[in-house]
Amino acid sequence: MRAAPTLIKLLFKAWMRSKQSIFFGFLFPVMLLLIFGSVFGGPSPPNYTLYVRNLDVDQSGKPGALSEAFIRALNESVFEVHLLRPDDPAPRGTGFAAVRILTIPKGFTENLLNVTVANRLEITADTILRMVAMAGESIPPQTRAEIESSVRAIRSFRQTIGGERPKLTLEGSPDDRLLQPIEGIINVIASKFELALLNASSAMEVSSVLTQTKQLRLVDYYLPGYVAAFVMTNGLIGVSLLVFDAYRRGLVKLLASTPLPKSTWIASIVVVQTIVSLILLGVMLAVGWAVFRISAFPDALSLLVILLGTLAFTGFGVAIGGSLREAGAVTALANSVAFPMMFLSGALWPLELMPEFLQAVARFTPLYYFHVALREALIVGSPAGALLPALVVAGLAALGLSLAVVATKWKDF
Amino acid sequence: MRVSPAIVVEDLTKRYGDVLAVDRISFTVNEGEVFALLGPNGAGKTTTVEMLECLRTPTSGNAYLKGFSIRDPAGVREIKKLIGVLPQEFNAEDDLTVYENVELAAASKGAENVREVLEKLGLWELRGRLFSKLSGGLKRRVGIAMALVGDPEIVFLDEPTTGLDPEARRETWLYIKQLKREGVTVVLTTHYMEEAERLSDRVAIIVKGRIAAIGEVRRLIEEHGGKTRLFFEGLEERAVRSLRERGYEVEVAPDGRAVVKVRTQSEVAEVISTLRELSVEAYPEIRRAGLEDVFLRVIGSRLTERGELA
Repeated sequence: MRAAPTLIKLLFKAWMRSKQSIFFGFLFPVMLLLIFGSVFGGPSPPNYTLYVRNLDVDQSGKPGALSEAFIRALNESVFEVHLLRPDDPAPRGTGFAAVRILTIPKGFTENLLNVTVANRLEITADTILRMVAMAGESIPPQTRAEIESSVRAIRSFRQTIGGERPKLTLEGSPDDRLLQPIEGIINVIASKFELALLNASSAMEVSSVLTQTKQLRLVDYYLPGYVAAFVMTNGLIGVSLLVFDAYRRGLVKLLASTPLPKSTWIASIVVVQTIVSLILLGVMLAVGWAVFRISAFPDALSLLVILLGTLAFTGFGVAIGGSLREAGAVTALANSVAFPMMFLSGALWPLELMPEFLQAVARFTPLYYFHVALREALIVGSPAGALLPALVVAGLAALGLSLAVVATKWKDF
Repeated sequence: MRVSPAIVVEDLTKRYGDVLAVDRISFTVNEGEVFALLGPNGAGKTTTVEMLECLRTPTSGNAYLKGFSIRDPAGVREIKKLIGVLPQEFNAEDDLTVYENVELAAASKGAENVREVLEKLGLWELRGRLFSKLSGGLKRRVGIAMALVGDPEIVFLDEPTTGLDPEARRETWLYIKQLKREGVTVVLTTHYMEEAERLSDRVAIIVKGRIAAIGEVRRLIEEHGGKTRLFFEGLEERAVRSLRERGYEVEVAPDGRAVVKVRTQSEVAEVISTLRELSVEAYPEIRRAGLEDVFLRVIGSRLTERGELA
């Protein structure tokens, strides 16, 4: 084993000098994390684009006071409002980004004011009658008659107030699954707006109570998923090509003709890949912290999971590279195993987003157990949640290394 | 002087399914000699040396390197300490420097004489250069350095100059000659006649897994190579007649070129002095018999530059 440190040093140097290894081993996963994290998993709450066509304008094009205030209220909520002039054509959808247009009708301000005053009068009359009923016999009959007369006068005045309830329309695609929830949100905002106009407050209140359950962002999901996925590709694709190349060059023949044991060669590759995996973890955590404020710090369990995953996939990579004798066959086999596994295992996106049958398929992929164990250990901080998948990864590591030893030919190439 | 064998091969056979790659070959390689296995591609040269390098298991037969059997696991361990190997079409690691590649081989052998080997092969000044940036000749020299590091007693060079340009090939020959001067036993496989003839003390011509001829190069040429030929441009008729009268075999081609066949070096001098006596100033082109002639006579066909039988 005296040769091992030198072998590890030299194999690591060769790995670090390979532009392809650096790109696919470090840069590509960092790029994915930055892109997917920014697009889908960033720290901002979701924003919904809403086009608003305000027909409540005067001849000079100036919007009515209440329609302007309502639009402001929408913009201060979850919506990102884009105003359309009355004669602007409807924006065309790309087919992927939904287009939703809220039209505020002409006369919105006047109608809303009238309806609000009428409502206030009705409420006032109703409130007086309720109080009289509650007071019962304690109110003298004459006084009661005068009050009822006043209420009739109020109601009579209410009848003289014109205006009708403004009807807003929300246009959207029938395939837009968010259209209905968005209509609900607009209705809530409209109700609050009406209450404010009535100078009333909501009769009930909902307030949040924070629990101990950690709500993960998508970027928290991505980070361990990408680390696991690229430890897997570094092993299956990178190592298989490295080993095949060593055979093709005659390097394995040269080494096998020396006293160097086969086990030292395999162990050196495994150690180099473990170092590479740890660097990848460090780089991803640093980028995750710097850009997305992910504050995970790897504990012993996370490092053990990384080690087991590296052993498993490096073992499979050595086995592929050592058993096939054509570059095309090595590339085809490694890619045909690695890429479907990457997409099917749920490493790149949450399993919950996938159809049920694909979720079932994911559980048959080795990468699934690796990224779940790593996420539980590294992000969720749940050793209990990591235990079972980590045991599966340990079994895969034993299998991978056994295959590597069997497939690596040190004689009779 | 009694020479001791470094390698003894006894009825070594290798079969791949129905294909008999090496068929009961036996030979010895003496200590300090350069021994060449000469033959076309697919003749079984590489399979033979890989069995000797303990990289292939023989189907039957045995071989002993310095007395250690290639079939005995303990012997194999000892043999691996004795040998240095340059595999066929070897290419070191592109992303390591010259020094690092030789260091890799040294580490696997437990050796520390990297600098010494690099200096000996004129690579010390290039030690920091990446292997991928080297010319073909220098790459092969790095391969030889990787085989030589650790001072092996027996060196196997499998097609060491294949694919090299003539200059790089001659340069490689110099290093192999240097090994011979240092007393290293060298087993060389090649399909280049000139290489085998210039470098080796003894040669085994191997075809279809069997040894067709074996022996010292000079003796093989004497026995199978035929006569030395002297080519003359436009030799006068009286000179031709005179040479024939003195018992020389003379052929005159239709283009006027005369070919005189002689057996020994002294006969060459005699022919020229005979012509001088006749006041004929002639400077013949002398073509000595070589391994190519031996190969042609023994095998019945020539070997092309690419190692195919023509």
